[in-house]
Amino acid sequence: MNELTIVIATIVLAPIVGGLLFGIDRRITARLQGRYGPPILQPFYDFFKLLGKESIVVSKMQLVWIYCYLILMIASLLCLILKADFLVLVFLLGFAGVSLVLGGFSTKSPYSHFGANRELLQILAYEPVLLLLAIGIYAKNGTFLISAITSREEPLLFSLWPLFLAVLYVLTIKMRKSPFDIATSHHAHQEIVKGITTEFSGPFLAIYELAEWYEIVLVLGVIVLFWANPLWVGLVIAFAAFLLELVVDNIAARMTARWMVRLSWSIGLILGIVNIAYLYITKGVF
Amino acid sequence: MTDWMMAIAILLPVVSGLLILAIRNYFARGVIVVVTALVLIANSLLFATKGPLTYTPPPGFDWALLITILDYAILITYIIIGFKYRNWLVLIFSATQLIPLLYFEFIMKAHVHPEPAFVVDHLAIVMTLIISIIGSLICVYAIRYMRDHEEHLHLEKSRQSRFLFWLVLFLGAMNALVFANNLHWMYFFWEVTTLCCYMLIAHDKTKIALQNAARALWMNATGGTAFILGIIYLYATQGGSSALSVQNIIGGNVHGAAMLLPVALLCYTGCTKAAQMPFQSWLLGAMVAPTPVSALLHSSTMVKAGVYMVLRFAPAYAGTYLSTAIAVVGAFTFFGASALAISQTTGKRVLAYSTIANLGLIIACAGINTPLSIAAAILLIIFHAISKGLLFLCAGAIEHQIWSREIEDMEGLAAKAPLITLITAAGMLSMFLPPFGMLLAKWVALEAAYRVPLAAILFILASSLTIVFWTKWLGRLLEVVPKLGWPLEKLSPSYSVPLWTLFIAVFVVGIGIGPIYQSFIASATSNVISGLSAIVASNWSDIVLASSGAKAGAAILGAFPVWSLYVVLGIALLLPMLFFGLKPTQLRQVYLCGEQTGGVDTDEWLAEADVKTKFILGGYYFQGTVGEKAFNPWVNTVAILLLAIMIGCGVIVR
Repeated sequence: MNELTIVIATIVLAPIVGGLLFGIDRRITARLQGRYGPPILQPFYDFFKLLGKESIVVSKMQLVWIYCYLILMIASLLCLILKADFLVLVFLLGFAGVSLVLGGFSTKSPYSHFGANRELLQILAYEPVLLLLAIGIYAKNGTFLISAITSREEPLLFSLWPLFLAVLYVLTIKMRKSPFDIATSHHAHQEIVKGITTEFSGPFLAIYELAEWYEIVLVLGVIVLFWANPLWVGLVIAFAAFLLELVVDNIAARMTARWMVRLSWSIGLILGIVNIAYLYITKGVF
Repeated sequence: MTDWMMAIAILLPVVSGLLILAIRNYFARGVIVVVTALVLIANSLLFATKGPLTYTPPPGFDWALLITILDYAILITYIIIGFKYRNWLVLIFSATQLIPLLYFEFIMKAHVHPEPAFVVDHLAIVMTLIISIIGSLICVYAIRYMRDHEEHLHLEKSRQSRFLFWLVLFLGAMNALVFANNLHWMYFFWEVTTLCCYMLIAHDKTKIALQNAARALWMNATGGTAFILGIIYLYATQGGSSALSVQNIIGGNVHGAAMLLPVALLCYTGCTKAAQMPFQSWLLGAMVAPTPVSALLHSSTMVKAGVYMVLRFAPAYAGTYLSTAIAVVGAFTFFGASALAISQTTGKRVLAYSTIANLGLIIACAGINTPLSIAAAILLIIFHAISKGLLFLCAGAIEHQIWSREIEDMEGLAAKAPLITLITAAGMLSMFLPPFGMLLAKWVALEAAYRVPLAAILFILASSLTIVFWTKWLGRLLEVVPKLGWPLEKLSPSYSVPLWTLFIAVFVVGIGIGPIYQSFIASATSNVISGLSAIVASNWSDIVLASSGAKAGAAILGAFPVWSLYVVLGIALLLPMLFFGLKPTQLRQVYLCGEQTGGVDTDEWLAEADVKTKFILGGYYFQGTVGEKAFNPWVNTVAILLLAIMIGCGVIVR
């Protein structure tokens, strides 16, 4: 398959997978809460309904940033699919996050600002973990290239399991699940209206939803990297992680942003640092 | 030819400075500054095309004697300043420079003149390009800025000439400093920059300005002391004129255990001038000076002399504990300053902390001391000079729009001054996001950092913190009420020419990094460490977003990999900005639980008892966690310990 085909296939298929995952999420969550739940395809129905709505906005920059968020999320996902540099992937993902935050800041709306500030703290919580993962990958492979991960026989999970644990809560943050559904939430347990997405509506909210679909595929894709050979084991692990998040979401209460940053900067970083220190001491430098 | 080039680079600023002092007319002064700027820029480009060269002034005039006399003149000026303002620290640290210098010249009777006196290699060329181009642009900007500044202060007697004199002189001193091969001369130019810095910070003569200038002086004087002690130690243990040749020291011709301590002292000197923790307070204090001073100190002069010093001597400490210690010292400053930047409420202080942080990163890269990390350090010097020069000029322009430096006062600037906001936003994004040069350099640095894992981990933490403080600030600028049609503000050409030039430079240098890398940086890196460009180039191509096919093409750093990221940026940001059109009917007011009053673009609501109230949104600053009060004692203690360890590593051999 040539690369253009891969690129197009990714751009087309990733949101379908992402949307289905969100559909499954809503169904399972409903069952856990003793409800019947919507059809699996409900996210798509919502998406097309949003697209058909009247386009109303509060500022032009808001549109620019939300569109930027989508494009950079896709670029970041392409980095993964094309097996490019993992660091570049993390940096692009960081830029995407920054775009969303700036979209929230681009208007004088208190709820949007609350959400944007919290989203920024979420970035502060997960960014170092992803970068530590990059260093961990470097410690194993001597390069940040994803192609080097997929071509190696021994799964990363064996030597990077502490980082795997840390990445699991990055997944929670990224999926906006309790206890970390702080900037905005799928459920109604928000006291800040709809947080960072308060001022997005109609087609622009649809763009946001679309970007979230790409994002979940991307983050689960990063988890797949922990067991890239054979690929199906990694996929099973990623799906199990996804299901785990749903359970955690339903048994945990939402925590504060500061608590999240503290947790991430203590336990998350210690897991990562110990992991890297161990690899450095046992393996040395390339 | 070489005679003239050297004379223009070093002496022209002196002559122009004196002319500016003599002619006290706004227009004539402007012409002199602009002409000097153009000649300096042309001259630096000439250096770039002619390539590396060495130079020793022809016999006939005793330059050495002149420099010695001026050396004492500067130190005596320090002492006078110390007495005048009764500042004991200034007095003590000028004495600790003067006494060793007297000892060196009269008791050791060292009259050594290693030849060549000046070596202009690729690294020096990169530096002189930065100094001459960005520094000159800042001088042009200062012409108009200082007039506005004095109008705002209602001064009776204009002091603009004095200001521009020191500003222009600074460029000459910096050029000489990076060219100097004679360590003793380098020390002299080092002191000239310290003096210029003092004079510029103290320019407004307010109590706080004088206080902060004195702090800058004594902190840099501790560095000067270490410098002269290093020289004496080198001369005492090695002897002969070759002991004081920079090229000899880094060329490995001066060997042995005795080498490491003086090099450690020189690195300490570099750290003081580069405002590494715990010396960050002098650079923060320098913020009281008019904005062109900050722009100059932060982008192309002064602090860059500090990192130049550490980078220059990198081969002399390669593979030692000292090298690792330097990496950790720099990385720790990168982390500490980035955290402190989050708590700052003043725009210029955020910029200052960001500078300190990035200088830390550069020094850490020098300490990691692999070809890749040295390349990263040089890239950082270039991109940081452009972006930070731009941001300071923006800060000055914003200040002259709203007459405030507070971030909270910049709220909604996008509607009041869209052009400056656009340029500022580009400057900020170019500091920490892909595909801009700073991030590219950071990426190269991380590639190299695993050799010192502690530094790598500090890099990671600092990078994450960097995202927070830039995004937070940019967010304040963008906070606007729903309204279409922002009228563009008018800018004087003295502002707009430097601003737009640097704005374009961010993109041109960023996109053209491939060719620029090949023609300058590769050789500049090999000036520091030889035989490496192949490694750098192959690593670089990893950034390629797509395709193994493209990778083959990019095996020797082609332009393509970086291009693809710029294309993504163009699609993501530029296209929607240009082509998203809005109709006034699409605008709605923000959600305020239905309590607004007035039209769509209102920011008023009905508060308690239906009283009309304007609502105010504030930023987060986390003073309790990373505020200076809470955080400084910790970071300063650790930083002092690290510095002590660094110098200790100079005593331990290998």
